[in-house]
Amino acid sequence: MAITILNAPDLDETPRGESALSPSYRHDRRRRFSPGGVAIWIALTLLIIAPVMSFLALSVSPRMFQQGSEWFTTKFIGQAFQGYTGRGIFDSLWVSTLVSLLAVSIATTLAWMIHRTNVGGRRMWAVMMWLLLLMPTWMMTLGWSDLLQPFGAAQAVGINTRYLYHEFFGPMGIVIVLTAAALPFAYFIISAGLQGLGPEYEDAARIHGASRFLTIRTVLPIIAPALLSAIAISFAETMSDFGVAYTLGYHSHFPMATYALFNAIANYPANFSVAAVIAVVLILSVVPPIALQSKVMRSRSYAVLSGRTKPPRRREFTPRGRVAATAVVALFFFVVLGVPVLGAVGGSFISNLGAYSASGVHLTMRYYTQVFNPSITGKSLFAPLLLSNQLGLIVATGTGFLAVILARRLVASRGGWSQRVTDIFLLGSVAVPGVVLGVGYIFFYNLPFVSNNVVNIYKTLPLLMLALVASALPGQTRFMAGPVSQIQPSLGEAARVHGAGRLRSWRTTNLPLMSRVLLWGWLLTFTKTISELAIAQILYPPSQEPASVTIQSYLANFESGTGTAMTVMTLVEMLAVIGVAMLIYRLVTPRGWRRIGWSGVRS
Amino acid sequence: MTLSNIARGAVRSRVGAVVLAASVASLSLIAVPAVSANGAQGPTLVVYSAQGYDSAVVKAYNATHPGFTVTLNDNSTGPLLQQIQAEGNHPKWGVLWVDGATAFAALDLKGMLVKNSVPKNVKFNALGAANIPADRSFTPASLTVTGALCYDSSQISASQLPSTWAQLAEPAYQGLLGMNDPAQSGPTFPMIAGAMSFLGHYKKGSTAHALSVGKSFFTSLSKNGLVVNATNGPTIGAIQSQQIKMAMIQSSACYGSKLNGSFPTLAVKYLNFSVALPGVIGIDAKMPPAVRAEAAKFVAYVMSPRGQHVMQTGDPQGDSLFWPTIVGEKPANKIIPPLASAHAITINPYVWGPLESQINTWFDSSIANG
Repeated sequence: MAITILNAPDLDETPRGESALSPSYRHDRRRRFSPGGVAIWIALTLLIIAPVMSFLALSVSPRMFQQGSEWFTTKFIGQAFQGYTGRGIFDSLWVSTLVSLLAVSIATTLAWMIHRTNVGGRRMWAVMMWLLLLMPTWMMTLGWSDLLQPFGAAQAVGINTRYLYHEFFGPMGIVIVLTAAALPFAYFIISAGLQGLGPEYEDAARIHGASRFLTIRTVLPIIAPALLSAIAISFAETMSDFGVAYTLGYHSHFPMATYALFNAIANYPANFSVAAVIAVVLILSVVPPIALQSKVMRSRSYAVLSGRTKPPRRREFTPRGRVAATAVVALFFFVVLGVPVLGAVGGSFISNLGAYSASGVHLTMRYYTQVFNPSITGKSLFAPLLLSNQLGLIVATGTGFLAVILARRLVASRGGWSQRVTDIFLLGSVAVPGVVLGVGYIFFYNLPFVSNNVVNIYKTLPLLMLALVASALPGQTRFMAGPVSQIQPSLGEAARVHGAGRLRSWRTTNLPLMSRVLLWGWLLTFTKTISELAIAQILYPPSQEPASVTIQSYLANFESGTGTAMTVMTLVEMLAVIGVAMLIYRLVTPRGWRRIGWSGVRS
Repeated sequence: MTLSNIARGAVRSRVGAVVLAASVASLSLIAVPAVSANGAQGPTLVVYSAQGYDSAVVKAYNATHPGFTVTLNDNSTGPLLQQIQAEGNHPKWGVLWVDGATAFAALDLKGMLVKNSVPKNVKFNALGAANIPADRSFTPASLTVTGALCYDSSQISASQLPSTWAQLAEPAYQGLLGMNDPAQSGPTFPMIAGAMSFLGHYKKGSTAHALSVGKSFFTSLSKNGLVVNATNGPTIGAIQSQQIKMAMIQSSACYGSKLNGSFPTLAVKYLNFSVALPGVIGIDAKMPPAVRAEAAKFVAYVMSPRGQHVMQTGDPQGDSLFWPTIVGEKPANKIIPPLASAHAITINPYVWGPLESQINTWFDSSIANG
């Protein structure tokens, strides 16, 4: 098998052994300033950099966007680190660190059990992981809350949960929910890494007398890109999460940075400057994990996947061990997924959930009936849901296209400043909360210069689409980066040698290997687009409401039962789309693609 | 090529065609709004509204006023005001319609509202008239009150309830009372400001004394076990789960929860005062004349008997449960008592509006998270 751990490429401006005037160096410089690279940076500028920078600029210059009288001031930096806001930043940092380590540890264990052992129900656990990924954190919290609250779903079946309820509404519950939310990101990245790792490494270590522990220590560094990528993305996703901060964090008086940011702009007039300082902190906080990842990934090549990669061999448990391992995995999924789903779905069928009733629990279909006969005139779910699906289709496709291009740049081993900046910039963008992106889009795209000379799309669906793509792109790129880093460049080079153009060589070598990742990446963006609220609420064009905004208006209008039923129906619809997409993939792709197309995300 | 391969190829091409059709249909989303953004479909009036009945009103207006499209940005008050503030001197809203007058006072002071926009032929009742500013830059289209004492009649009887706000701080009500967080709940800041104004006997001039008295009062409530939840929903939920027995919140939230069957034993008592919360509508001064003229027509429609009827039927278990501000109009539901029984007071939004951030920050650090 043609696998090599290469020496570290030299990252100096002039590659070692080459003069600055040598042909290869001149070629390298030309490549760095290629039209493609410029086009990518223009796209990133319009999508993310300009809107986010417009918002961040307010941290020191409120007058730039008519939000104050000072052209330059540092007073908001001090304000942001005081009292409740400062506590929020501190809490977010330690919670995100803990959650990222927990998520990666658990994800590595699960990925190994599911992909490298004969634990029962392997296919089902992979599907469960996808369901976990698709579930918004606020819904997870809602489910736990519906289940554990006094007179909630658990009490309805005779289980006293009062103690658990109080424990859950605190740091413990926050860490549990955020770990469950970050886990799938880590799992899929690590699974892809494990799948590219043939059995020969373990064999080699064992042949040389390594114990089981030493074998793991030897083999795990080979998937270091995946592990570090998983830590970085788990950290960034946790830092930027708002759902838990707004629900569990608020109610347990445990402030987090995203809630502090929200709080700063919740009053009128909004304090965008303090919010901007918090956003800067969120973005800067992801620099250490990404710097570590970047340093490790550029120190050597981790290309271990080629057309000759052997399928991994599974460890066979004893029958008793298999039952025990299966039970552990099943219990885990029941706790992180089953409990909140049971709580939310069960809660939508219980009349007046959470209310004391002398006559006991009453089941009802009333809330689902109200979905079809809405109590608020003109507030049906169906037109918004159709619009959300259309948005999801466009946003997921556009994001997938851009993410592949960016992932390739991200893992390019001989890149210069452009790649390094892309790297830091993309993960920093993962930590940008949706509300920052949404408000930043207003600041930038509503500028007279932009609307008169560049593009006039404020208050239109295309602007909402761009913002949703911008929101999904950083995470999607990180999601793709792991698999892309493990595809040997020799595959594409071989195709080019045989006369294929750049596109054809990618289509015939990389695409088959990445087809499943592309499918699941598309589905991930599709579903997240449908459930996205922060950006949609700020940027949706008048009279074109997406489903999340409609559901929110019911939840905010004393119609929480109807809102919950609408949420459940939306989730069911998303699951149906996933099923259809997988069926289409099965029908239209050659069998070979399905066999080699990243079984790490096998469903 | 085998037969199965041919069949598979046919399936692939059909599936491909369906996927392509769905993609093309979705891509049309990009083109259509771009046309309207360029103005090819004529001028548009955008209504920024947080009222539950707004979509019904806009739909009814468009049906009876052809030739000018009115579109709706329906959101919570917070996101709407964030958008307006972020749009700055290049606003896209033509009409703003939310509960509470403080934001309108701030917009008016910045010169962003059309003066004298209150329809001239409308006869307001006393509380309606009391909520019209001197420059007539915004119109009180409806009225609810905040600071209504909602209680669970199965937990506590009407005779056990206090009669005044001051009594809420007495030991007899320790741990029984809840309210919303003003940073989360739009109607709560006017309630706090109203309490400060009433308890501090504020008339005019400096608000320092009223602020001091008000802060002492809310601190004493906090010491007496006040439970602060984010918004009306969780606060009513806390009463339902018997965490508390009563709460000072917005009147329409109490009536709505009772009417929609989610909390039949919920009842309302008004103490020695409540705070009027007008549903206010104002027109953007920076819009072109044609849009401003259409906005004036829209406001006139809202204040017409027909408009008021649509408002009262558009969200029957929510925001439609208001007191009309017009002489001769009656509330939509008999559950709403005569307005006089609410003892509603009015705060000056030009005085209290600028204090919102300061008071909310103090409340958040000292009371909600103290």
